[in-house]
Amino acid sequence: MGCEAMKLALESVGHAFLGRPVFEKLDLSLVEGEVVALIGPSGCGKTTVLQIAAGLIDPLRGRVRRAYRRHAVVFQEPRLLPWMTARDNIAYGLCAIGASATARVEVAERRAREVGLHPEDLDKFPVELSGGMRQRVAVARALAVDPDVVFFDEPFTAVDVGLKRALQDLVIEAAAREHFSALFVTHDLAEAVRVAHRLVVLSGSVEGLAASRVIEGKPGERNDRIVFEMVETWSRDPAFHALFDGERERIR
Amino acid sequence: MKLVPRGLALAGWAGRYVWSGWAGVAGLFCLAAAWQAGHEFYGSFVLPSPLETLQAISVIVREPSFAKVARETAERSLAGFVLAVGIGTTAGAIAGYSFAAMRLMRPIVTVILGVPPIAWIVLALIWFGSTGASAVMTVVVAALPISFAGGLEGVATRDRALDAMARSFGAGIWMRFRTVTAPHLISYLFPAWTTTAGTAWKVTVMAELLSNSGGIGGELATARALFDIPRVMALIVAVVAFALITEYVFLHPLRDRLERWREAGLPWGVKR
Repeated sequence: MGCEAMKLALESVGHAFLGRPVFEKLDLSLVEGEVVALIGPSGCGKTTVLQIAAGLIDPLRGRVRRAYRRHAVVFQEPRLLPWMTARDNIAYGLCAIGASATARVEVAERRAREVGLHPEDLDKFPVELSGGMRQRVAVARALAVDPDVVFFDEPFTAVDVGLKRALQDLVIEAAAREHFSALFVTHDLAEAVRVAHRLVVLSGSVEGLAASRVIEGKPGERNDRIVFEMVETWSRDPAFHALFDGERERIR
Repeated sequence: MKLVPRGLALAGWAGRYVWSGWAGVAGLFCLAAAWQAGHEFYGSFVLPSPLETLQAISVIVREPSFAKVARETAERSLAGFVLAVGIGTTAGAIAGYSFAAMRLMRPIVTVILGVPPIAWIVLALIWFGSTGASAVMTVVVAALPISFAGGLEGVATRDRALDAMARSFGAGIWMRFRTVTAPHLISYLFPAWTTTAGTAWKVTVMAELLSNSGGIGGELATARALFDIPRVMALIVAVVAFALITEYVFLHPLRDRLERWREAGLPWGVKR
């Protein structure tokens, strides 16, 4: 994918919380239409990398280069505004970029259909929706702004296995259709293998990335058997040991 | 457009709201029964009956001077309410955003809270004399700390995760305040505002009575001097009625309209 346009690049980025370094000299880039899964043990700073990439926090060292118009973030929790209906929540990002009222309604309804929400759900408040539907609204809100880059921060950890699959398929389809780049943070190797083109592993210690692998085939074309075998092979790979041993070391 | 269903929804809400008043009226009638019992025990001189009071009210409202004094009191309490709510909420919200401001303002508010309203009346009398201004000032200082606390808590407990979400979409400060902080703030401010509205009426009448500056308080002072007990009761009932109207005709419907999302989350049966 070397010839395609670069959308986002993190260059020797380092960050620390209260003097305790999380990672140093981290390099990461996204090219157009590429979905990169960022995995690592919990507490290794995956979310921090995402927040730096999305501009929510400034890195202490290094720099972030962006070559796109607009991005959107899907958080771990839906983060919907409880006082707005599902329709207004989906249109929130459009409101922030100053889209007209008619355009907002039209886009919100189209995006809601794409993520599998019923039209009558659009007039409901978030408290009236189930957990899965709330996360669908959050995905629709991110897609509504026609983003060039989407950041997913462990978005489907709180939903059950069947729904998780459905939501992953939704992301895979949307990425193929709209051709956006995405950084997909997860701690689930199988999820990473299903949705991404490329996989990067953030090590538990401060040195940054432990490994970067291109996943064969395209997301959506790998069947369950391929995904399972890939996960099996990689879990024996020394580069991925941090994922499975990191927890033990952290507890010590 | 969708005007007809919207109108129907509004009418349905208004009907439910008025209907819910029956419970309140039932409570008030229980109180009236206890009042009647007290009257039969102590006699008319100490406690006039509800009926006598009603008659006294019907006499008072026909006096042309009553409309004037009621308006005077209403204007003073409204001015006090607006100033207390405006200054208190703004200062509280600023303190909620800035910890330095909070550390500076909190002790000041505690001091204001510690001085009894009666002392403020004495000071106000010295500063403003027997005018409406002393009543207004007393209302402001008596009611300001509640709005301050409401504004402070509301802003300090805003959802930072939602704020980060709004920032991720590039929402500016004003949009974030309008869509993330303000709706949350409202739920803290309404209890403060209803308390302030009640306090405004009570303190205005008290200040008027003590400073002899007209209004319903002035009428109350005259009635007391003449030992016209039914008139005293009638004036008290009138003030209570004004306070109830402020709360249930102006503030509660406003709150219901602004917080529809909260009602949506309640299970059936808990809904009014």
